[in-house]
Amino acid sequence: MNGTITKENKSVTGLIKSKYTKLFLKKYKANYLFGILFLVIIDVLQTRVPIITGYVIDGLELKNIEMVNIEHQILYLFIIALSVFIGRIIWRYFIFGTSRSIERDIRNDMFEHLEKMSTKYYQEHSAGEIMAHMTNDLEAVRMAFGQGILFICDVAALGTITIFNMVNEIDLVLTIVAVIPLLLIAITTSILGKELHKRFSIKQEAFSDLSNFVQENLSGIKVIKSFVQEKKEIEAFEKVNKNNYNKNMKLMRMYTVMHPYMQFISGLSLAIAIGYGGYITVYGRISVGDFAAFIQYLGMLVWPMMAVGMTINIFTMGSASLERIEKILDEPIDIKDSVDVKNVNDFKGSIEVRNLSYKYPETNNYVLKDVSFKVEKGQTLGIIGRTGSGKTTLVNLFLRIFSPDKNSIYISGEDIMDLPLDVLRKNIGYVPQDNFLFSNTISNNIDFGVRNSTENEIINAAKAACVHDNIIDFKEGYKTVIGERGVSLSGGQKQRISIARALIKEPEILILDDSVSAVDTDTEEKILSHIKNTRSGKTNVIIAHRISTIQDADLIIVIDDGKIIEQGKHAELIQNNGLYNSIYEKQLLEKMLEEQE
Amino acid sequence: MDNFIKENKTLQKKYDKGLMIRLLKYAKKYLLHLSLSMLLIVAIVCIELYQPILIGNAVDDFISNYSNNGSIYSEIAKQSDANGVIKLGVIYLITVLIVFVLNYAQAMLLSYTGQKIIYNIRMDVFKHLNTLSINFFNTNPLGKLVTRVTNDTEALNEMYTSVIVNVLKSFFVLIGVMITMISYNTKLALMTFTVIPFIILFTFTFNKVSRKIYRNIRGKIAALNSFISEHVSGMKIIQIFSVEKEIFEEFKKENESLKKEHIKQLVTFSIYNPTSFLLNIVAISLLLWYGGDMVMEGAITIGTIIIFQRYIGKFFEPIQEFAEQLNIIQSAMASAERIFSLLDTEPDIKDVENAIELQSLKGDIEFKNVWFAYESDDWILRNVSFKVKPGENVAFVGATGAGKTTIQSLICRYYDIQKGEILIDGINIRNIKLSNLRINIGQMLQDVFLFSGDIKSNIRLKNDEISDEDIVDAAKYVNADGFISKLDNKYDETVIERGASFSAGQRQLISFARTLAFKPSILILDEATANIDTETESLIQDALKKLMIGRTTLVVAHRLSTIQNADKIIVMHKGEIREEGTHQELLSNKEIYYKLYKLQYEHV
Repeated sequence: MNGTITKENKSVTGLIKSKYTKLFLKKYKANYLFGILFLVIIDVLQTRVPIITGYVIDGLELKNIEMVNIEHQILYLFIIALSVFIGRIIWRYFIFGTSRSIERDIRNDMFEHLEKMSTKYYQEHSAGEIMAHMTNDLEAVRMAFGQGILFICDVAALGTITIFNMVNEIDLVLTIVAVIPLLLIAITTSILGKELHKRFSIKQEAFSDLSNFVQENLSGIKVIKSFVQEKKEIEAFEKVNKNNYNKNMKLMRMYTVMHPYMQFISGLSLAIAIGYGGYITVYGRISVGDFAAFIQYLGMLVWPMMAVGMTINIFTMGSASLERIEKILDEPIDIKDSVDVKNVNDFKGSIEVRNLSYKYPETNNYVLKDVSFKVEKGQTLGIIGRTGSGKTTLVNLFLRIFSPDKNSIYISGEDIMDLPLDVLRKNIGYVPQDNFLFSNTISNNIDFGVRNSTENEIINAAKAACVHDNIIDFKEGYKTVIGERGVSLSGGQKQRISIARALIKEPEILILDDSVSAVDTDTEEKILSHIKNTRSGKTNVIIAHRISTIQDADLIIVIDDGKIIEQGKHAELIQNNGLYNSIYEKQLLEKMLEEQE
Repeated sequence: MDNFIKENKTLQKKYDKGLMIRLLKYAKKYLLHLSLSMLLIVAIVCIELYQPILIGNAVDDFISNYSNNGSIYSEIAKQSDANGVIKLGVIYLITVLIVFVLNYAQAMLLSYTGQKIIYNIRMDVFKHLNTLSINFFNTNPLGKLVTRVTNDTEALNEMYTSVIVNVLKSFFVLIGVMITMISYNTKLALMTFTVIPFIILFTFTFNKVSRKIYRNIRGKIAALNSFISEHVSGMKIIQIFSVEKEIFEEFKKENESLKKEHIKQLVTFSIYNPTSFLLNIVAISLLLWYGGDMVMEGAITIGTIIIFQRYIGKFFEPIQEFAEQLNIIQSAMASAERIFSLLDTEPDIKDVENAIELQSLKGDIEFKNVWFAYESDDWILRNVSFKVKPGENVAFVGATGAGKTTIQSLICRYYDIQKGEILIDGINIRNIKLSNLRINIGQMLQDVFLFSGDIKSNIRLKNDEISDEDIVDAAKYVNADGFISKLDNKYDETVIERGASFSAGQRQLISFARTLAFKPSILILDEATANIDTETESLIQDALKKLMIGRTTLVVAHRLSTIQNADKIIVMHKGEIREEGTHQELLSNKEIYYKLYKLQYEHV
């Protein structure tokens, strides 16, 4: 028991010590102080209500109160009620509102930092994991900054004032006897709260097991049907379902006891107040009005006692969550401008690769081995090779998705490690293999990299990518929303929009990474000829599986297992009678077969 | 966002009676529990109504006499009154204890019932899903189906725990309070009741407003979260296009608008909570004002005032609960509708009446003029006819989309054909009991699906009749034992989702063992095209050869050795059978097979 408390304190101090907490408390100091001020004022006012009703009851009892006097007291009540009404709106706005501001601030910081993280980071951290930090953890931190701070202040204010009034205006001994059971509420909420949280997590786990079971059952439904395992699956599900039921019931056994238990403890206090309070009233130590007021005060204490327990849990959880969030915010940025970055704003598109060897961080196998070639500005480079031969790795290095060694890749005569990242990427148009489009309108997707293109420019880019006709077939044309929340596109349409997205940048270097695979050959020819005609003086890099895509390139390199095994023009490579030629012959045959009736 | 609201609106439409009746049917089994819980509630409500009276009595009978310093009463009278008050305190404590026990019992009873019903519904949904045909799973997104079993079912829970019985509880409390108050003093009771319409009006208006705001917030949160998750997934694109700043600005805007909506909600709640406080004060003021007058006239006692004061606090809870219960009903109906519409979906492939039961098959297969389309008129198979004798080994070859894999799915009757007949052992497969048909056909798919669990559970699936020895024997026979016995935990080695830790070749071998363990008489195999290392490849080939012995085998072939060993090769092209014969015969034809052979099988 002692151990857990110290541990708790330690983690709560973690929350207090965090530089982010200090930052936010400083930034929103005024809001908090203002909110807390009103909170206290209101707590003071609220605690007057029992005193007033007690006074009236006493007056009635002693028959020494006039109707006018009662009316006055009622007026007081109204003034209090009105002030409480306004005051509560104010403190809620300032305390809870601030916690929402902090939530927004942290969310912004996280997203901004995530934008700086490299692909390597995203390979190590799944989107689901990042989402959990940005939702659950953020929520826990917000609770600490909102409810947590409120509870502390409210408990302190309401608790002290109420107890002060009880002692001061009614009776010390009565207060002590009646309040002691209420302390039980504070202790048990804290302990039960933790246990409840544990049982809740266990329940959630059982639920996610159930969810995973169903997910797997449905993913593997073909196997299940072909081996006629439906009945057995149902039997197995029964177990998972039963387990979920059991964990739920375990939670419910504790959860359902909470409310009746609170009721019981406050009832216990009340019973003491009736017995002992009544007894001392009979003996004249307190008045009947005091007696009535005391009963009301007891009711007002239940809440602060619960809050004490909850506050501890809120801060413990908030502190653990803040720690996880800080881990993201403090993650170092691994791909950024080098220290001796050149101050350039653009470049010409010549590319030179010198003895480039590359292995991915924390691996031992070289995926590119001693690669060298040279492309002049305005030329087209074709790259062909089997899956996994290293083609995409090569262009990823051009974009510095991963960083190559220094002195291995030169663009426009400059080592790309010395070019500003921003300039490098702004001047390269890239069409990736997986055509990732955003759930946004088609026109916004095409304009993704430029952001202020005119309608005409967008249409021209779409036409160049041969997708304009498809787009205007949609009911809402360029305003059609695509993706999960809108129209789903075919692979070919996605590829062509993705091409338009790169073309509209009119980049110095255009990279097509196997980007026309889902487009039929006629359309492919049109797109390629358009690229050839409009991009004179600019450089193109085309990775392809089909020979027809690259046969007109100024230089073709054939990569196998990370090495360049052949390079030259189409005609030369055919002569070579190597891998290139064999791919070529196969594709001819394939075409013949396709044309067979 | 718009879609989200739209969706919600359609869900909000008036629930129909049918749904409610179906939901209640699930509760029927637990009528006893529900009735008992109802009885307990009546008892609790009665005791809770009695508690304020106890306090009032304490004041009237014993305490109020001592206001004038009690000097007029003798010590003996004092003593007896003091005893009386303590006795009342003890009685009060006993009522508190009883309420505690009854409340807990009642809540547990309801939780139990709710959880049991949810368990049953979930069982039904899952069972039903497993009867549906492959076509259904191809056309319905998996995520949504999972939600039916999980979250939609979960959403019904509150319907049983917080609505069915508790609506009556709220009703009892409200009526009970009113009747008791009237019995004390009609005039004063009616006077204080004047706040009730305001509480009702106010609670329901607030409920409506807050629901709307809540929906907006949920929509905004969903939008923001999908923004984050989408942009995290597409972070590479953002970085490649170097638009981090612009995207961040967009994000900030969305984030800010969510914050504003939260503030709106906060203010709404800020108005609600104090307003109920205000109404409470109004009621107390009315009580003091009229009641005070009446006390002075001697029409009522002080105890009555104290009792009334406590009853007023009880107006609020039941009314708030009514509003909450209305919300629950609405969202439960939306889930119920989705669940029942799934339960009402009939499987499109099922046994005919008096389906023929076959314990084993000889393995004679015949396609007679089979026409098949997944979607109307888009024929995948056109007039396909062929015969396979028991024990024969047939290879299907053809370009992608020629219809080879479709033929395999049809034999297992995952789809029904539109025209023609498929006969196994001379019986139309439509008339054979589905489970008999499928258990006798061992189907091995191109992408081997492994379940998370261990190797054993992937070989025997959930069929306990397959012993550990059977598993090892099967694995040995198909050359899988070699790599399995090298694993740390051998046959107990953990298999993670989809078997990602095994190579394609190893997965293939595990699937062979799985198929063999079920001892089918017909084998259907879609050979993997994935790159498999040469060592594993030769193990696979050897295993295949052994598997084919004595079984009718249909293979979609990608390996040279497979077609060379086949008794017969069927060449598919654009949904038709174009050539049939042995490897040598077909090669000399110099037709489609010849080209295919050069393209797919001849090594570079």
